[in-house]
Amino acid sequence: MISLNVNQKAYQVDADPNMPLLWVIRDIIGLTGTKYGCGVAQCGACVVHLNGEAVRSCVTKVSRAEGQQVTTIEGLSANNDHPAQVAWNEENVPQCGYCHSGQIMSAAVLLRDNPNPTDEDIDNAMAGNICRCGTYLRIRKAIHTAAELQRKEVKS
Amino acid sequence: MQDISRRYFIKSTSTLGVALWLGLSAKGDTVKSLDPAIAENFSPFILVEPNGNITIFNNKPEIGQGTFQSIPALIAEEFEVSLDHITIKLTNGEKQFGRQSAGGSSSIRGSYTQLRKVGAAAREVFIKAAANRWQTDATNCYAEAGEVINRTTKASFTYGELVGDAAKLDLPKDPQLKDPKDFKILGKPAHRPDIPLKTNGDAVFGIDVQLPGMLYATVERCPVLGGTLKSFNAGEALKMPGVVKIAEVERVIGRYSSVGVAVIADSYWNAMQARKKLKVDWDTRGYETFNSSAYDEKLRSMANEPGLLDKKKGDVDSLTLKPENIIEAFYETPQIAHHPLEPLNCVAQVNGDKVEIWTSTQVPSSITGGQIDGFKPENVKLNATFVGGGFGRRLSVDYVNEAVSVAKQINKPVKVIWSREDTTQQGTFRPMTFSQLKGGFAENGELVQFEHKVISPSYSEANRKDFNIAKVDGTMVEGIGEQAYEIPNIKTSYVRADYHVPLGAWRSVTSSTLAFAQECFIDELANKAKMDPMEFRISLLHKPSDTKKVLLKLKELSGWDTPLPKGRGRGVAVWEFFAGLCAQVVEVTYSKDRSVKVDKAIVVIDLGEMVNPDNVANQVEGAIIMALGAATKPGITLKNGVVAEHNFYDNPLVRIYEAPKIEVHILTDGGKIKGVGEPGLPPFAPALANAIFAVTGKRIRKMPFDLQYI
Amino acid sequence: MKMQMNVIKKYHGTVRAVAVVAVLLSAIGIMAFTLHKDDKSGKADPELFVVKKDSVASVKAFKQVYTVLMSARCMNCHPSGDIPLQGDDSHLHTMFPKRGVDGKGVYAMKCANCHQATNTPGLHTPPGNPKWHLPPADMKMVFQGRTPHQLAKQLMDPDQNGHKNMQQLIEHVDDTLVKAAWNPGEGRTLPPMSHAAFKKAWLTWLSTGAYAPKGK
Repeated sequence: MISLNVNQKAYQVDADPNMPLLWVIRDIIGLTGTKYGCGVAQCGACVVHLNGEAVRSCVTKVSRAEGQQVTTIEGLSANNDHPAQVAWNEENVPQCGYCHSGQIMSAAVLLRDNPNPTDEDIDNAMAGNICRCGTYLRIRKAIHTAAELQRKEVKS
Repeated sequence: MQDISRRYFIKSTSTLGVALWLGLSAKGDTVKSLDPAIAENFSPFILVEPNGNITIFNNKPEIGQGTFQSIPALIAEEFEVSLDHITIKLTNGEKQFGRQSAGGSSSIRGSYTQLRKVGAAAREVFIKAAANRWQTDATNCYAEAGEVINRTTKASFTYGELVGDAAKLDLPKDPQLKDPKDFKILGKPAHRPDIPLKTNGDAVFGIDVQLPGMLYATVERCPVLGGTLKSFNAGEALKMPGVVKIAEVERVIGRYSSVGVAVIADSYWNAMQARKKLKVDWDTRGYETFNSSAYDEKLRSMANEPGLLDKKKGDVDSLTLKPENIIEAFYETPQIAHHPLEPLNCVAQVNGDKVEIWTSTQVPSSITGGQIDGFKPENVKLNATFVGGGFGRRLSVDYVNEAVSVAKQINKPVKVIWSREDTTQQGTFRPMTFSQLKGGFAENGELVQFEHKVISPSYSEANRKDFNIAKVDGTMVEGIGEQAYEIPNIKTSYVRADYHVPLGAWRSVTSSTLAFAQECFIDELANKAKMDPMEFRISLLHKPSDTKKVLLKLKELSGWDTPLPKGRGRGVAVWEFFAGLCAQVVEVTYSKDRSVKVDKAIVVIDLGEMVNPDNVANQVEGAIIMALGAATKPGITLKNGVVAEHNFYDNPLVRIYEAPKIEVHILTDGGKIKGVGEPGLPPFAPALANAIFAVTGKRIRKMPFDLQYI
Repeated sequence: MKMQMNVIKKYHGTVRAVAVVAVLLSAIGIMAFTLHKDDKSGKADPELFVVKKDSVASVKAFKQVYTVLMSARCMNCHPSGDIPLQGDDSHLHTMFPKRGVDGKGVYAMKCANCHQATNTPGLHTPPGNPKWHLPPADMKMVFQGRTPHQLAKQLMDPDQNGHKNMQQLIEHVDDTLVKAAWNPGEGRTLPPMSHAAFKKAWLTWLSTGAYAPKGK
């Protein structure tokens, strides 16, 4: 049994320690917001936070997450109100939406590490997340919007 | 918003008390009923419950193109309800909802007037019901936000309160559609109600479906396309943890079929681990020697064949132009994959002669309409989900049939997931097209001759067993004979090449390659004529046309006549085809290291009418990103019969840092309604290549081209 | 050939250090060193590491060292730009991850987000190491594009080699990230010689005076 803490909730999981965290989260724990896109850390659809870092759960063995803090898109905020989520809605970013759990989880790390990112910072941070529908311009815009929302939150 | 939760995908509609269904009959008349059984015999787009709950059914799959907002918007506009206060449900291929498919940029074009009519009839009948209660005239009442209001007394009834009364009234046959100037939703930028579900993990895609007792499966398919199973040894694989069963399954795709080996296990991961242990012997049927490089060479040699005549205007063969007034060029484009980010997947459960299916599909109507092998249409139940990208790949139901084939092996629901590698390597693919072009000028400088011959495998042949190859495959010459340019002598033709690889329509279908050849060649002709490429195009458009209108607008909006600084260039292209009409100017910067940066695309798209301008812009932006990838990233090639590419590391997609600025201008002059999803794609590659020519003098005649080194 | 004896003050010894020197000894056979106990700490320390200058042998050894350092397995993480290289052909790493201040990437693109403590199974999957990183921004230790002369000079310059002194250079050959080059994950070509051969060449180069090949 492997002890996991996902979205502040403790789980005991009976899984091969080599099983990628992605499949444990999706198929065993049942949180399907984290997506499978490529399986080889190319597309970023599977990004979750492991102790706050945007790891790719498709290549992260569940054993690495044992006893660590895992946050998935479902746990990013209580009411879909993380600044990135709010901004994503405001700017109508998604099309099919499949990649955006990962996009938002990556953006959340950027926004934490750099409250005032430039376009270049955004490109550097989001380069690992593929959007096949091509919503990149909106992702850039939404991250700027989120940064602004975040600054307002801090002020108030 | 919470109404649109993941739950409704699984649970069937349950209503409180007697609810009223309103919709369209097969003939297109507005109809209504309180009886759900009767409602099954028409297309019940609206459900009004006595408690005030209103449900609008969206019969076009949501594949990212925005039908979750745009289709209900057509109804809600006329019905006077806000999309924020209703429940939207995706239909599941039920016969009564008509053709449920997402393809050809057709959703709004095909529904615009019909669905408004449903909403308008519903509005009128509820107004009439309220007027009767108040014993006033209907003109003294109006509808707003799901209520009918008495102009005089300001009294109001909710639609829910009027269900019983409305049910007794006749629906107006020809309800009064709203004057567009009164629109509250249509034509206005709006938030899409599916977006909140896509930012917190709530949206359920096919791959997310979870059922009690569900098993998982992966299928080992013959790596040599065209081959099939000879024999296999499951011994070692069966010993792997979690493995439940290993069985032969069939995949039928178009006119091809192939047997593979399914590994069914208690988790996808375990199934994948066991799959690696399979020992399979394939019958490669001679395709193991097939190489794309040799095939491309064959296509080049076939350019000499006359081919089949597609369209003819005037008589190119009778022209006697001076050789120096004629130019010819040969263009090549690659075979490419669709790469929806949600890999192919399908959940199926077989129960005797019945099957239930949960999947991401562009074609619910195909699944419930007889395309599931071995099951009567009435015995197929579909649960459609959000679709994590289609782009044409999910027009085929091969992966659904294969999952059903897997489910037949086991008495439990089973989720078949294709790995990214499976999705990349097994097709369908957009076929390559090669183009032979010829143009000629008269002595007076007029362009009088234009010929475009397409050499390629046939999409229709690949997909239809009954396709007659003696005829032109119209899909493969799509659009080339239909451009608005007024050239007196035009000939388009098609040379079909044998092929054995599963082919599928790819967003904007063959226009995605033919526009590149044709619109770059138009640029070559402009250059030959020593004319500005924009002016040359406009000079070929004497009569008023949508194309002329769009180009003139683009000329103005792009600042075409303002020179760019040294090292920068711009190119133009326009394309009209079945899905719509769009023109683009692309601006590039050329560096000393011979790399090209795409600075900006300025787009004019002609729609006639539109629902949600913000969503139109999003679609066009996405189409351009996709077109950029198709123009500049490696395609799909076969080596020794096997697809040489595997995943995004060797078949890359555009990433955020490559995205240029995009300006989208939408024309809505009330003319012919045109599509949104695809038209943004075809003009981009030729406009880009033409911009590169403008700045470098180098004519690009082959996609993909490498922007890092021109 | 002019021979010169140089005595370098040796480090606080560890078992590994002793092993390194032992290898040196057996490899070269002519090196002199002393090893005695530090009375205060009780550790094997300090030692005297003796370098016997031999420019011909040194340059010869470095030429071998150079083939390894310029192989994809080493050079890919010592790029001339701020984006690591990838693959046997040393193309720019897909998705253009950036070095970052500490060499561990930036924001959502930190090395360890994909690169695990061990190699991920399969072809074209991220190779792994607990310390996976590039040299930091203030000390980029570029290999890509360096001539043998330049690289040798750079390796011996504490202002360009990560402030490494001789002892740390000796140790570095057994660094886990250096050794990762010989366990690169499926489908990747190994450096042109074994780690043992590389280590021998490296230590020979150092112990013969760390001469830089002539040239620019």
